Amino acid sequence: MTSPRRHLLIAAAAWAVLSIVGAVLVAGLQIIPVIASREADIENSAFVLLSVLSVPVLMFVVVGLGYSALRFRANGDEEDGPPIHAHRVVQGVWLGVSFLLVIGLFGYGAMGLVDIRGAQSADFQVLVHGEQWKWSFEYPDAGVFSKELHIPVGERVHLVISSEDVIHSFWVPAFGIKQDAVPGRETQIYVTATTAGTYPGLCAELCGSGHTGMHLTVVVSERADLEAWLSEQPNKPPPPKGSEPPPSGSEAPQ
Amino acid sequence: MSILKPGLLRAVLGAAAGVLIGAGGLTLARGSGMDIRDGQILALGYLLALLGFVVGIGAFRFWLPWAIGRPVDTTAEHAAHGTAGDWRRYFRFTTDHKVIGVQYLVSAFLLFLTAGTFAMLMRYELAQPGLVLGKEGYNTVMSTHGAMMITVALISIIGGLGNFLVPIMIGTRDMAFPKTNALSYWLLPLPILLVAINPLLGGFDTGWTAYPPLSQQANLGQQAYLMAFVTVGISSILSAINFLVTVFRMRAPGMSLMRMPIFVWSLTVTATLALVATSVVAGAFTMLLFDRVLGTSFFRPSRGGDVILFQHLFWFYSHPAVYIMGLPGLGAILEVVPVFARKPLFAYPLAVLSFITIGVLSFMVWAHHMFVSGMAEFFHIPIMLTTELISVPTGIVFLSALGTIWMGKLHFKTPMLWVFGFIWAFLIGGITGVYLADVPTDITLSDTYFVVAHFHYTIVGGTIYGLFAGSYYWFPKITGRMYSERLGKLHFWWFTLAFNATFLPMFWLGIEGMRRRVADYPPEFAGLNLWVSIAAFNIFLSVAVFVFNMIWSWARGPRAAANPWRAQTLEWRCSSPPPVENFEDIPTVTDTPYQYGTPGTAAAEGGAAS
Repeated sequence: MTSPRRHLLIAAAAWAVLSIVGAVLVAGLQIIPVIASREADIENSAFVLLSVLSVPVLMFVVVGLGYSALRFRANGDEEDGPPIHAHRVVQGVWLGVSFLLVIGLFGYGAMGLVDIRGAQSADFQVLVHGEQWKWSFEYPDAGVFSKELHIPVGERVHLVISSEDVIHSFWVPAFGIKQDAVPGRETQIYVTATTAGTYPGLCAELCGSGHTGMHLTVVVSERADLEAWLSEQPNKPPPPKGSEPPPSGSEAPQ
Repeated sequence: MSILKPGLLRAVLGAAAGVLIGAGGLTLARGSGMDIRDGQILALGYLLALLGFVVGIGAFRFWLPWAIGRPVDTTAEHAAHGTAGDWRRYFRFTTDHKVIGVQYLVSAFLLFLTAGTFAMLMRYELAQPGLVLGKEGYNTVMSTHGAMMITVALISIIGGLGNFLVPIMIGTRDMAFPKTNALSYWLLPLPILLVAINPLLGGFDTGWTAYPPLSQQANLGQQAYLMAFVTVGISSILSAINFLVTVFRMRAPGMSLMRMPIFVWSLTVTATLALVATSVVAGAFTMLLFDRVLGTSFFRPSRGGDVILFQHLFWFYSHPAVYIMGLPGLGAILEVVPVFARKPLFAYPLAVLSFITIGVLSFMVWAHHMFVSGMAEFFHIPIMLTTELISVPTGIVFLSALGTIWMGKLHFKTPMLWVFGFIWAFLIGGITGVYLADVPTDITLSDTYFVVAHFHYTIVGGTIYGLFAGSYYWFPKITGRMYSERLGKLHFWWFTLAFNATFLPMFWLGIEGMRRRVADYPPEFAGLNLWVSIAAFNIFLSVAVFVFNMIWSWARGPRAAANPWRAQTLEWRCSSPPPVENFEDIPTVTDTPYQYGTPGTAAAEGGAAS
């Protein structure tokens, strides 16, 4: 007969080994394939931390289940297990550890949140308009409009997002920013791009039949190139929609 | 005349009459030049059809005479309880809680198969890049799958297993309000049918969340879904009241609250949540219906309405609803564990406390669905805290299960396999939930396949694994026959491998940037999506094994003894299946039903199998 203490020791050893191996493996994971902004970087650090912390939790349960399935089978006897109804220390430690983990994660998450979303002054502002099923951009300082989003590299950019019809969501994966465009109000988000280049973006909130194809392109360039590009843009918005009939089933009395 | 006798035929005729009067009347009025829109015709037609159906089935034939002071036909009232062995009682307004339980359970599995078929259509569209069903077709299929599966998760365990078992497990003869109980069930067929035929009404493309303004411009199928959801909500509230009164007023002598089976505890918290939260979403959906049908502007930004308000109201119900779906599954799992581990349920009082804490906290976390919605900025912080806090009581479920299994004498019968599968799946669901509770990681992961994978691990892991564990465990009690162990194990392994092969890769798809709710995707996701589709078809096939096992065993399986699992809860003191009023004499309870490992102790006395 293996003693209860020995069962615990073997399982604990297996847990420790698997946790360390697993944690090393997931430490290299990346939440976004391409990281091109300060915000995406913060999110990726959080992702790695959560993944490393998840491994011991996952392994604790997996080892507990696996070890039990191997060693605690009934093997045909009709006997019952020991009549253990509770264990104060185990319960206390379990509660304490999970509570501490939660508080730690919350503190870390709250700092990341303030870092990403906290109100900050910006060097450059763009108004983002969503409508079924395209995006358009307005540069209030230059007084021009465009169909692609152009922003400077290394500067804090303030995006003010609005929608003409239904809810859309402005998402640029490489920047780790996502913000719904809500009809009737303005939403906002900040981003600091770290690498010049061209990045895809898309609508992340189901917005009707054209949702699947609602894409956008972001071009990040040096400030001088951006200014040159801005001077070539039209100072009139693209023609508003509204020429087409309202979608079928719309029953709003006029 | 037999047509006028209460029953399914009269119910169908009543519904038809309702459509004729409601929809027909308004159509005539429109023909005569009145300004009436399609939505109004659908609304009145549906309301009168629902009334006609419920009256036709016989829901009011005892209440109405009673209300106006006429003598009530007590013979008919007793007859409504049904006679054991008569199959026709399953198709009638029968007041026996066991019949209603079976009605719920079988209906839920039929709905599960239908919704699963819609899932297969989704995976057919997504198997390769490009479009097969078309964008609108896909959105309708996706929305219908979601709406139906939510209903399955809401009604299957509490309505099916709960109705059948709770009165027996607490040692009484029926639910507190048997007629209300039957009404709760018979309110469901019409709305479910309406959702099933929504593609004929143009479909709906908002998903089950029905966010305006999209849901205000969508087709008539959208309105059908909203009306159906409100009806299911009413049924859910009636059923919740019934469970609470039954549990709090009708327990056998000696069964204090802290001696109740953990499954009954989980349903008690569930019913409380359903009672308190459902009216909020029914209100929100009714406001949305008013916007569509009566021209109000609650959620019309163009006329001062607020679309974020809808999201708050919707999630204020729909997050607790996740626990309305999940808690019964957790309860069923914890009920099964001690029986097959032959050890007392570990930390029973703490598990009860954790269910209650989950219930309370579930009302304080709704806005984590709205981290990128544009809600008030400061609100992210407290919601992130409460959302992460709810993992503490949820973790207790793992402590209880693992603590019971550790050092036990494990019997790997089919229900126990589902327990192990549950712990794995629900653990993955829980851990990935932390990534979505953490705002920095949620910003990039929300609205991607990471979320799809997460909630399938949670709801399938919590509810469906609990439903399968419970269905196998209580099959002998419900049907009086044993299921095939071999087919049960085949079902478990096939389902579990296919389920994990389907949903694990979806986490990766989400991290790689695949959005949820899209009919098409860039070619770089093609390989994984094909794999996921093939795995998903396997889930469906494995469920066919379950269906065959259930039908075949119910008809041909070996007779079950009263207590084939040597379990200690009261339902195993009745014969299998239990007689019409469950107990000859009501048992007396002396302890929690988890006295394993202490020879000679019983948790109750009396209530002998009759």
